[in-house]
Amino acid sequence: MPREVEISIIEREFIQNALQEGIRRDGREFDAFRPLELNFGDEYGVADVQLGKTRVIVRISVDVVAPPPERKFDGVFQIVTEFSPMASPAFEVGRPTDAEVILSRVLEKAIRRSNALDTESLCIIAGLKCFALRADVHIVDHDGGLIDASCIAVMAALQHFRRPDVIVEGEKATVLSTRERDPIPLSILHQPLSVTFSYYEEGNLFLVDADLAEEQVRQGEIIITMNRHGEICQVNKYGGAPVEPLDLLNLNNVALQKVKDISKFIQQKLDEDAKKRDAGGLMAELSAENAR
Amino acid sequence: MTTAGKIVNNEIHLQSIHHQQTQPHQLHPPEHSDGEPETKKQEMPLDTSTYSLALLRLDGRRWNELRRIHAQINTQAAADGSSYLEMGNTKVLCTVTGPAEGRQAGQRGAKDNEAKVEVEIGFAGFSGLERRKRKSDKRTLEMQHTLSTAYSSLLLTHLYPHSTITLTLHILSQDGSMLAACINASTLALIDAGIPMSDYLVACTAASSATTSDSDNSDPLLDLNNLEEQELPFLTVGTLGRSDKVSVLICESRVRMERMESMLAVGIDGCKRMREILDGVVKEYGKRFS
Amino acid sequence: MAALVTVVLPGDEIPRSSLPTPTGKKKTLTLGPGLRHIPPDTITTTIAGALTTDNKKNAIWVDTNSGRYIPAVGDLVIATIQNSVFESFNCLLTPNTPFASLPQLAFEGATRKTRPVLAPHSLVYARVVSNGQHTSPEITCVDPSTGKSEGLGPLKSGMIFNVSLGMARRLLLKSKGEVIVLELIGAKVGFEITVGRNGIVHVDGANVKTILAVGRAIQEVDEQALGEKGQKKLAERVLKSL
Repeated sequence: MPREVEISIIEREFIQNALQEGIRRDGREFDAFRPLELNFGDEYGVADVQLGKTRVIVRISVDVVAPPPERKFDGVFQIVTEFSPMASPAFEVGRPTDAEVILSRVLEKAIRRSNALDTESLCIIAGLKCFALRADVHIVDHDGGLIDASCIAVMAALQHFRRPDVIVEGEKATVLSTRERDPIPLSILHQPLSVTFSYYEEGNLFLVDADLAEEQVRQGEIIITMNRHGEICQVNKYGGAPVEPLDLLNLNNVALQKVKDISKFIQQKLDEDAKKRDAGGLMAELSAENAR
Repeated sequence: MTTAGKIVNNEIHLQSIHHQQTQPHQLHPPEHSDGEPETKKQEMPLDTSTYSLALLRLDGRRWNELRRIHAQINTQAAADGSSYLEMGNTKVLCTVTGPAEGRQAGQRGAKDNEAKVEVEIGFAGFSGLERRKRKSDKRTLEMQHTLSTAYSSLLLTHLYPHSTITLTLHILSQDGSMLAACINASTLALIDAGIPMSDYLVACTAASSATTSDSDNSDPLLDLNNLEEQELPFLTVGTLGRSDKVSVLICESRVRMERMESMLAVGIDGCKRMREILDGVVKEYGKRFS
Repeated sequence: MAALVTVVLPGDEIPRSSLPTPTGKKKTLTLGPGLRHIPPDTITTTIAGALTTDNKKNAIWVDTNSGRYIPAVGDLVIATIQNSVFESFNCLLTPNTPFASLPQLAFEGATRKTRPVLAPHSLVYARVVSNGQHTSPEITCVDPSTGKSEGLGPLKSGMIFNVSLGMARRLLLKSKGEVIVLELIGAKVGFEITVGRNGIVHVDGANVKTILAVGRAIQEVDEQALGEKGQKKLAERVLKSL
């Protein structure tokens, strides 16, 4: 039975001693994320996030389906997570581990239940046709911080995605291909992002974005999801050593700062990508006309 | 009147003069309330002389009132430990088996020679508003995970290497504060089973009554029922023993971060009162042996 | 090592000119890992890597820097104890592989009465005694001829760092490893390293900072394939930070 290999005693002690001295294994500050990289694919809605050695790829795809009868005016949006053995030999296909359940649940609560995506905008004809959006989250490399990285990747991919335009004539809807008309960005209501805090020393020491080894040593975790406007979308502390309530409130402030930073980073990357795509766009068309 | 809770220097201050008023959540002796109909909570005193009608909740409670809590331990003869808990109309039955050898070979015990805590939550078909067969969906799995991690760090699992402690929860009726009820029932059942623990975990829910995001005048509410849970942003908080330290905190709804403080403060205060009630249940039961 | 490295791919035929020119007494050519002899006199490669020869030993083999560690008799490894069964410890050489067994009596001074007590997940420095073609590999913490530990045994403090298999091999080659960064740092601060062929380096030193600096320096040399120049620069930077 493959199981996550446990960290050795030496490593455990060393990491704890180092933290007591205020040193993290990779030399980061306690409240620092690992180097974050975000790349978009050639197609719309593909985001590739690298957080240190952790790598998550998210792909958004869309389909036209009949809406569920109880929600006639909504589209369908689902997030599917998959831990492949590619990321770690401890993962097995078809047997969700606890970590996988938690990840998909957290993403569900953070993004879907907090209404980050306006699902009503996915409706084409009420009760008959709607867009079904699907975000596939693939964990490609696992070195801790999966929740944070996945959340960044899903939100970046959603903001990057463009859905095809539709023309509705009565009961008939025609989906236009991207060549006929420019695809439309999704209507995103807010951008929730997760920050996971790992704590040590009976809740006296909090780390942001722990890597796999630090995750194995921690006494507990607190996952805070919020948007940059300071709205908490969810807080999860599943047991573990108890912490002072005041510390919990302080973490919210730290999380807000991190979320603001990451939001800015995503926006910057989106702008860069838009610029790149536009290089041969309108300007080129205009110049071509001038040449004629 | 703003009744905001404050946490200053890790002490909870609930800014309300009504805090020490009669508390309708006092424990009813088991023989009295055993077969009682569930209309009990409607009989809660409506103190309209001091509260304007607007400050009463749907079921007539004030902001910091718990629902009627009724609990029993040692209800199931077959189990190693068991409990039955009612928080208003939420009813949970919990049994503990173990510490015993795990069912599956090779998976006995958790890592590092500690006992493993397994949790199973089952919903009765008649527990909700609609009769629906609930499969073990992700929400249930998450609740199981929460209970399992919370108790793994709380119970002295290293005393029982290579064994499994199984918590089985049956939800007989759902009316909000599900997770909190499950935690409280599990705690009682574990105490009944005599499994050593460093302290015990009690949980409660708290909400913020602000429906519009910009209103400053929001009262925190304690111990929500199903309707309130669907309307308001709420959190479930579980504290350890007499301390205010938070062991479990689950918030699943969108809420301004400023509201967190008052919700947390009220929740923690609710946990303290819940602890007193559970204390009473255990002590009452213990009297039989003295 | 030779400045000119020939990179070979599986199926490549080794030209006669690449074969070592024997300088020692040994006349028969020794084929190392990754080479296959097809009679009468063709030698082809089976793995990709750098072709390496040793004229003195009249040997030729292919050096690779990837893949999983496969135990070979005589290799020094750092193993993780998982549990103890009967009279031996189950150890992991690499994650998610079958256990290697370490007899409880294979320690210096261990007798039936005084067996070492090792908690799960503690580390030992050990030597591979049998590579377990058909059984699980066996390792030992004692030199069977002398009964002494010869530096093998449990690792107590410090920290371990993962490196590539090629790097571990280089570190174990005494002079030819070209890892001068350690000597440069070692000239100024004291530390101790233990290298396992299974890609684990154990570093112990006076304080957390030193251990981390040394460990990370090794990893950096490994990951960025730093040459002599780069290593000198790295050593300077590391020393400055201490």
